[in-house]
Amino acid sequence: MQDLVGIVPWTFVAQICNLFLQAYLIKRFLFKPVNEMLEKRRQKADAEIRDAEAAKTEANAIREEYEQSMKEARDKASDILSTAQKTAQLQSESILKEANVQAAAIREKAVSDIEQERQKAVNELKSEIGGMAMEIAGKVIEREINEADHEKLIDDFIKNVGETS
Amino acid sequence: MDLEITGARIFFEVPIDVPILGRFQLSETIVVSWIVMAIITLACIWLTRDLKEENISKRQAVAELLVETANKFVVGNMGEKFRYLIPFVAALFATSVVSNLISLIGLRSPTADLSTEAAWAVVVFTMITAQKIKTNGLGGYLKDFTTPIPVMTPFNILSELATPISMACRHFGNILSGVVINALIYGALAAASAALFGLLPGALGDILSKIPFLDVGVPAILSVYFDWFSGVMQAFIFCMLTVMYIANAAESSS
Repeated sequence: MQDLVGIVPWTFVAQICNLFLQAYLIKRFLFKPVNEMLEKRRQKADAEIRDAEAAKTEANAIREEYEQSMKEARDKASDILSTAQKTAQLQSESILKEANVQAAAIREKAVSDIEQERQKAVNELKSEIGGMAMEIAGKVIEREINEADHEKLIDDFIKNVGETS
Repeated sequence: MDLEITGARIFFEVPIDVPILGRFQLSETIVVSWIVMAIITLACIWLTRDLKEENISKRQAVAELLVETANKFVVGNMGEKFRYLIPFVAALFATSVVSNLISLIGLRSPTADLSTEAAWAVVVFTMITAQKIKTNGLGGYLKDFTTPIPVMTPFNILSELATPISMACRHFGNILSGVVINALIYGALAAASAALFGLLPGALGDILSKIPFLDVGVPAILSVYFDWFSGVMQAFIFCMLTVMYIANAAESSS
């Protein structure tokens, strides 16, 4: 039996050795493998973060490119639209103008045709009515009226006819 | 009845007198220390078996928790430059806790022997002193004893030596008190048991009074404090003091 309270030199030395041995054993069998594993995991996590960042950058570049091309397409579409609108307007204007011109020409022609027809009718009527009047007058009064009166009468009549017609 | 509380048993003695150290005695303390070391080392090996980087097992989670806690404890209290002390502090704590708790399976705690705590305290004291000399130089270390006035030198030396002694005795005293109180309680309950069952008449009382029924269960409740709480607490205090003293020593006093 050793004393209850007391320092035994051999035990003392042995316990110092045991403590350092235990420190080594713990370092070798607990801290070394766990720290190595933690370091590996950290590296893996870092690598994953780097990968994710690279993927993000790439995605951003693609998105930018896409937006750029979308914008270009939109610009192009609006260009085409406005050109088409302009062309259509020009065309419609020219068509309208042409139509107006044509309509005016047709109207003019119609007016002149009507005038011509009227003139012709008047002339025909003039000569016919003149002859008829002469005949009737000759028959009614049974005398020859002079040429001047005759002309005058006819003209008056025609004039009246022309005004009433 | 007789109740005897003794020191560590001696299993084997080498009959050669070595100067200063005396005869080598293979005591219970040393043998149980080896058992403790084996338990800790095997636990470490078991915990760190097939470590994985992801999808970890509960066992690995425990191993990682232990390592992280030790790292945080040492680095948090002492700073990054004392990272190399992590295994030492961890060994100190693990050995202390397992030594204190091994009494639960009936073995004699190595920490119930002052030699063990004295050994640890001397190692820690050496580290503190080495750190002080490293920080202030040998001159600065020696000059520190004369502050604030040279008259204080003996007291300063005394307080310096008190550090390892108080560390060792605090730990030892707590564990020994647990051993003593446990022995007293077992003895007292056995006596009470004998007295109680001795009241039974005839041979039945004679037989039953020899069996200490009251020793079952009751001491376990007291053991929660004297073994579990005190054991873990003292280990923590010892490590905390170690860490604080060395960290303080690293701070230049001048």
